[in-house]
Amino acid sequence: MLKKIIFCFLVCFFTYNTHGQDIIPNINLKTINGQTISADEAVNKDGFTIVSFWATWCIPCINELDAINEVISSWNEKENIKVLAVSTDDSRSKKRVRPLVNGKNWIFDVLSDTNQEFKRAMGVVGIPHTVVTYKSEIIHRRIGYTPGEEEDLFEVISNYKK
Amino acid sequence: MLKSVTITLTALFFLSLSYSQSNRIYGSFESNAVYYQENEEEDYENKLGSNNYLNIKYLFNSNWNVEIQVESYLPRRLQSYSDSFEDTHLSTLSINYSKKNFKLSVGSIYDQFGSGLVLRTWEDRQLGINNSIWGFRTSFDTDNVSLKLLGGWQKKGIGISSGKIAGFDSSITLINSDTKYQNLILGLSYVGRFEMPHYISYDFNDLTNLFSTRLDYFSDDFYFEYEQVIKSKDGITQFGSISNEFVKKGSAHSLNLGVTKPGFGLDMTFRRLENMPLFSDRFEQGEIYNESNVNYLPALTKQHDYQLANINVYESQPNVSFPDPELMKSGEIGYQFDLYYDLKEGSSLGGQYGSKLSLNISSWYNLKGQYTYYPSDYDTDFLGFGEKYFSEQSIEIRKKWSNKFDNIFLFINKYYNRRFVEEKSGEINSQILVIDNTLKLNNKKSIRLEIQHLSTKDDKKNWYGYGLEYNFNYNFSAYYNTIVNYENLEDNKPNYYSLGASYNKNASRFSVSYGKQRGGLLCYGGICRYIPEFKGLSFSINTSF
Repeated sequence: MLKKIIFCFLVCFFTYNTHGQDIIPNINLKTINGQTISADEAVNKDGFTIVSFWATWCIPCINELDAINEVISSWNEKENIKVLAVSTDDSRSKKRVRPLVNGKNWIFDVLSDTNQEFKRAMGVVGIPHTVVTYKSEIIHRRIGYTPGEEEDLFEVISNYKK
Repeated sequence: MLKSVTITLTALFFLSLSYSQSNRIYGSFESNAVYYQENEEEDYENKLGSNNYLNIKYLFNSNWNVEIQVESYLPRRLQSYSDSFEDTHLSTLSINYSKKNFKLSVGSIYDQFGSGLVLRTWEDRQLGINNSIWGFRTSFDTDNVSLKLLGGWQKKGIGISSGKIAGFDSSITLINSDTKYQNLILGLSYVGRFEMPHYISYDFNDLTNLFSTRLDYFSDDFYFEYEQVIKSKDGITQFGSISNEFVKKGSAHSLNLGVTKPGFGLDMTFRRLENMPLFSDRFEQGEIYNESNVNYLPALTKQHDYQLANINVYESQPNVSFPDPELMKSGEIGYQFDLYYDLKEGSSLGGQYGSKLSLNISSWYNLKGQYTYYPSDYDTDFLGFGEKYFSEQSIEIRKKWSNKFDNIFLFINKYYNRRFVEEKSGEINSQILVIDNTLKLNNKKSIRLEIQHLSTKDDKKNWYGYGLEYNFNYNFSAYYNTIVNYENLEDNKPNYYSLGASYNKNASRFSVSYGKQRGGLLCYGGICRYIPEFKGLSFSINTSF
């Protein structure tokens, strides 16, 4: 019983008494062309970045990125937004990332996190998981995607007091 | 152990308060619980099981950080997870230092060399895998050279393995041209597993060596990746024992190449594995909980999301197995193709809103060669295709009909040789059709209807399934789905169902569901685990902070 109490106590403490992560950690990722880039260097230093954790086998993730791909050009007329689609595909499905990205004509940057170090460092449990940063600082996180939710994401960005 | 964990965590918490302005603590919490009404495990006394994971990372400064993960299985683990998971224990502890190009970690090491053919340590909670190495890792990176060295004992359940692992990995950029984009990288790795088998003296070495060579080339519209692995002689584990009479080398060859252009992508993979399993404890081979696995040898087939597409999934066959004189295998050989094509908006096939097309073809076989059952031995041909294990052809079309309505059409033709893959009996030919429709009612509300059918004259005959999901807003959804084996009169048309709801708020998700889950192989990321059938009420919470 004591162990259960201690465990629950620790969970509550960490979940509610800490402010949470506010910066993107320095973890190496690969571009789809095999170059190494640090996650903290990949974000937009002058504006917003939408960091979306996805995988080739995750249907809601692809739905979200397809939806963002359709509207990102019009969003960029109003706000300075960079999209980083971080693929968590491991060596089994990683092969499918580059042909899928080209086949779908996604116009944003795709990075690869094959052993899920970045996913682990960001405390991401399930995907899709989307993080919004403003000048390297994390301002919003969300789990899951339902149709139309990209509009809500844009609202978060538009309403952010810079 | 618990006492020391508590002290460490509490100390970290109080330290965090002094740094609360700079927010140096982050992590995640996940809890999955089931209240069982019916289950297959006979000795399962507790109606309630739960698996809980608390992961904390604490940054002291830009150079030092600590990661801790505490797991709790209270009042008991969920069924089908390793028996050794009980109570509360520390599963990950690592102290990490980094300065410029140099990194050093002591404690639980998660890493991967190349594509993982020689080494991959990782965590997958759905599969109950955490094979991190309890030891050290150091790495050094420059623009063109990357070097890594690691060693230690592997985590096995809540303890550690008897075998020791040591590894070295390097990658050297030979060509890196920015003017016309070109990149050529050479990779060399070594992994050694040292295990002294208990009590018996064997003819083969206690140390098993794996050497890997990789060559990766990328340009604007073409890429090529090749990896070759040589594994030194090791005793083959058969029926839980190792014989001096059956000692073989292993090898792996993996070739992946592709062509991409805007709106088009083509990828081809060929892989041949011969006697490639590597466990830190040799006798773990064939155990169901995927513990002590050193290398990562996933099935190279398309991973599907839909329930009926996940019946008769292929599991890779890297092992030597001679269960009877008619069934002898020494590995696998096969290929996979993927094609992606964007049918443009306004084109005759794409329609007003455009469509996305994807095709996948894969075929996997036993290695062709000379096999003798007694005494056990084999001699394989390098490019010989033996008995077919599995093949699949699938086509997926995503079509947007209007701003409010879109659907996904998926058709799969599948062959599954259960006799060779699972070492049971039967071959199954099946066709699966899925139509997944989404209708947006307004900006926030949407409804999704999914219809599935599996046709087969083999095994347990035809299935149908459907699912209905209603998204009330961005945060709250409810669903019902069912699959029915309607032509299986022998088992009285078994049906499985789930009724559930989920609530998401920022980085937290709560979900609850009630239903009956089909037992079978749960495959995630190409690795499979058998899960028993159960009926019950499930809850899950996960949050990142």
